[in-house]
Amino acid sequence: MGEPLLRAENLVKYFPVYQRGILMRKKIGDVHALDGMSFKVERGETLGLVGESGCGKTTTGKVVLDLEVRDSGKVYFEGQEVHETLTNGTREERQKMRRSMQMVFQNPYGSLDPRMTIFDIISEPFVIHGHVPKKDWEDRVYSLLKQVGLEEYHAERYPHEFSGGQRQRISIARALATEPKFIVADEPVSSLDVSIRAQILNLLQQLQREMGISFLYISHDLSSVRQVSQHVAVMYLGKMFEYAPVDEIFDKPLNPYTIALLSAVPIPDPTRQMKRIILPGDVPSPVNPPSGCRFHPRCPYATELCKKSEPELRELRPGHLVACHYAEKFL
Amino acid sequence: MATAWQTRSILGYESETVGELLRVEGLKTYFFTEAGVVKAVDGVSFVVNEGEPLGLVGESGSGKTVTMLSVMGIVPRPGRIVGGRVFFRGEEITSKSSEELRKFRGRKIGYVSQDPNSSLDPLFTIGSQLMEVVREHFQVSKSEAFERGVKLLEKVGIPEPETRMKSYPHELSGGMRQRVAIARALAGEPELLVADEPTTNLDVTIQAQVLDLLKALERELRMSLILITHDMGLIAEMTERVVVLYAGMVSEIAKTREIFASPRHPYTAALLASVPRLDRKTSLTPIPGNIPNLISPPSGCRFHPRCKYAREICVQQVPPLESIGGGREVSCLRWKEITLQEAA
Amino acid sequence: MTAEKKQARRSASQWAVAWRRFRKNKSALAGGVIVLFFIFMALYGEFFAPYPPRSFACLYQGCTDLPPFTNWAHPLGTEPSGIDVYSEILHGAAGDLYVGVAATALSVAIGLVVGALSGYKSGAAAAILLGVTQVFFVLPVLILILLFSRIFILLVAKGLALTLIVVILGVFGWPTIAFVTRGEILRIKELEFVQAARSLGASNTRILFRHILLNVLSPIIVLSSLLVAGNILTEVVISFLGFGDPSTSTWGLLLQEGFLYVRTSWWVSLFPGIAVVIAVLGFNLVGDGLADALNPRIRE
Repeated sequence: MGEPLLRAENLVKYFPVYQRGILMRKKIGDVHALDGMSFKVERGETLGLVGESGCGKTTTGKVVLDLEVRDSGKVYFEGQEVHETLTNGTREERQKMRRSMQMVFQNPYGSLDPRMTIFDIISEPFVIHGHVPKKDWEDRVYSLLKQVGLEEYHAERYPHEFSGGQRQRISIARALATEPKFIVADEPVSSLDVSIRAQILNLLQQLQREMGISFLYISHDLSSVRQVSQHVAVMYLGKMFEYAPVDEIFDKPLNPYTIALLSAVPIPDPTRQMKRIILPGDVPSPVNPPSGCRFHPRCPYATELCKKSEPELRELRPGHLVACHYAEKFL
Repeated sequence: MATAWQTRSILGYESETVGELLRVEGLKTYFFTEAGVVKAVDGVSFVVNEGEPLGLVGESGSGKTVTMLSVMGIVPRPGRIVGGRVFFRGEEITSKSSEELRKFRGRKIGYVSQDPNSSLDPLFTIGSQLMEVVREHFQVSKSEAFERGVKLLEKVGIPEPETRMKSYPHELSGGMRQRVAIARALAGEPELLVADEPTTNLDVTIQAQVLDLLKALERELRMSLILITHDMGLIAEMTERVVVLYAGMVSEIAKTREIFASPRHPYTAALLASVPRLDRKTSLTPIPGNIPNLISPPSGCRFHPRCKYAREICVQQVPPLESIGGGREVSCLRWKEITLQEAA
Repeated sequence: MTAEKKQARRSASQWAVAWRRFRKNKSALAGGVIVLFFIFMALYGEFFAPYPPRSFACLYQGCTDLPPFTNWAHPLGTEPSGIDVYSEILHGAAGDLYVGVAATALSVAIGLVVGALSGYKSGAAAAILLGVTQVFFVLPVLILILLFSRIFILLVAKGLALTLIVVILGVFGWPTIAFVTRGEILRIKELEFVQAARSLGASNTRILFRHILLNVLSPIIVLSSLLVAGNILTEVVISFLGFGDPSTSTWGLLLQEGFLYVRTSWWVSLFPGIAVVIAVLGFNLVGDGLADALNPRIRE
């Protein structure tokens, strides 16, 4: 397969929590958003990143693009370290990296500047990067609109004139305007109606087929992750619990959290009702993660060992990594 | 009205050994806004039977929430019911005064809304909010109300209920808050619980807890459930009958198994074909187009602009909700001619 | 399938939509008419005034202290000192408009810059700016003006020139604008389209000017309108209390002059008073109407 397009090594990101004092504010703790995330994304493929709230998946997406600066760890894009390039590189290097990596956001109603026309929104990358001569802008914008399934005359309109699904398409068109090789899609369909989601999911897959774009697909909706990903990583409280090719992780999960997570998803088929594993308690807060294996307070299989020591990621099957002391049980 | 009911039983409507709890007939609720009249619910009819959990499924603009708000008489302005009738255990509630309706709400029908953050008042303790409902419907002392509140919290699985009575909503997690919201809906000991997207804002594992709770409550309290959702997975798991709504009108009514195995309305089939599944990768067929504008909806069948089986007649005539045997109802003019793909 | 066609459409830009909403709002339109009328009076009033500003002509013509509606030459009456009320009201409009608009413009200019800097940047500089804003905010502007004017009179033996009032009002009126600007910027910079711009590689300057400031303008416009009304009122108070400029016509000055004779020559106080109320009302209605029209929840 060769060198992966994107490689993340041991990403750590904490967000400080403050308490307001009289004059100054005092730090009282940290949100352990990311506590050592490592993964890779191959060329032309999609990595699905799943987890519940507080697991750090959105932070991962932002750190990869350097929209949030990590505390430690590295992100390599085509062999170059992202943060290094974006802070210390030449202007040309910086612009090139920004163009190659783009993001599509969750909220279709907030991610487009309400005071700009669609034409301005999609052509903004041209303004910033100058990689397209001005005389070609119109053609490019129109062709991008067509590519995402919209019409040319939509270019002169304003975001509020479009539905959620259409706005998401516009966001995608904007991301494509820089000719990226890699796109982070952060919950791109969660705010959309059910029947519209399929439109966007299909579009993402089509773009991958036709243009070879890699995706980091972040979502809490496991069913849609299965649709679009080739590999899946399951996160919990800032750590990666499991990583495997898509079919394997859904059909043969090896981590008790993954198993519980999968069993909790309702399937639109009344003849196939899975036996549910109901996890007790709440999704814990990332401010004070539990000791040892972070999942131990809720895990039906937890032992003393799990309380004391954090499991390492181990490759139990080819290409299938698990962080659990007792993962062999589930083989 | 009575005739229609008799006709249905002649056509083989499932004969009830259980009672009919709720009947909605031709309900119309419009919103009179500056921009125009939004026909949010435009002729919705269905029946809820005791002990048979019903799903009200649809996307945004389908009218599923407004329908239930109309049933309970709490349609927000500028909306109001402009037509149709609603019966609860044979008693017409659309003709009740607002005072009577107020007593009715909570005591006969309980409502859990989508957002656990906004449905509980952040200024009052959980205990006081529960007790408020209890004392509204029952003549009991404060201490008795407190006891009942504690029992309610126990029922919904909140640990240390006595202490929790003194907590404020923001001290609880989202899942806990939703449980409290359910407890509050149950405080009036209603016969029917309406859960409006109760798990949409919750994490998957917490969703499982809440769904489990709802099922347990149905059993223990012998309570009937109406589940409003857009999630076909929830429908499959939690309901026995389904009403599919689109743009303010009923597309199809059938038993859950039947809807999935052999949908009769093109929208139902298209919806099923566009939903990804957890247990395998499928090729998704999205529904082209967008949800229609409810101020000026498409003529004839509201789904026709997006329907691949649409013909001239679909543009001209509004399809009536027909009974097609076996308790099933469809509103499609061409249902006999078209063979829809099996959803699985 | 309904196909949307490229057609001659009404512009859907935020400004066009806001204008249409404004037009539909009756009280906003009424306010707009008042404001326009007021501006017209201020700019061209001198052509309709039979007497120049501060003219004591009636002293010599023997038409002092005339009640209103008795004489076509002096429709609103005259002061005991000989000043024609009608002319003065027309001239006064210019003075009040000048104070209202100029002071507001100054406040907005300062406030936008300070607010933008303290909102967009974080760190020591922003914190200092915020502190400065807070200090200026709590200063009692009116008292300071009166104090300053007292000192000024003692030193220079003249009342505060109108321009000085403008400067002081402007220099002390910017904190509100700064706070609103800062608040809006803090809110907007977390919105996703700003993050999107950053992910595209836009520079900070571009983000600030192209994306953030334009979106901040709406509440600032509304505030400005209300600020004009407030500044006019403040000027009236200052002049009424005798700290204003006795050589320039303003409504406050008229009110001050009329105060002594309020029982006998009541018209000297009444008509300027009505003018003040209507002008301030006009700006307030426009401000309200703008707030409503610019509300970004457009048919979502």
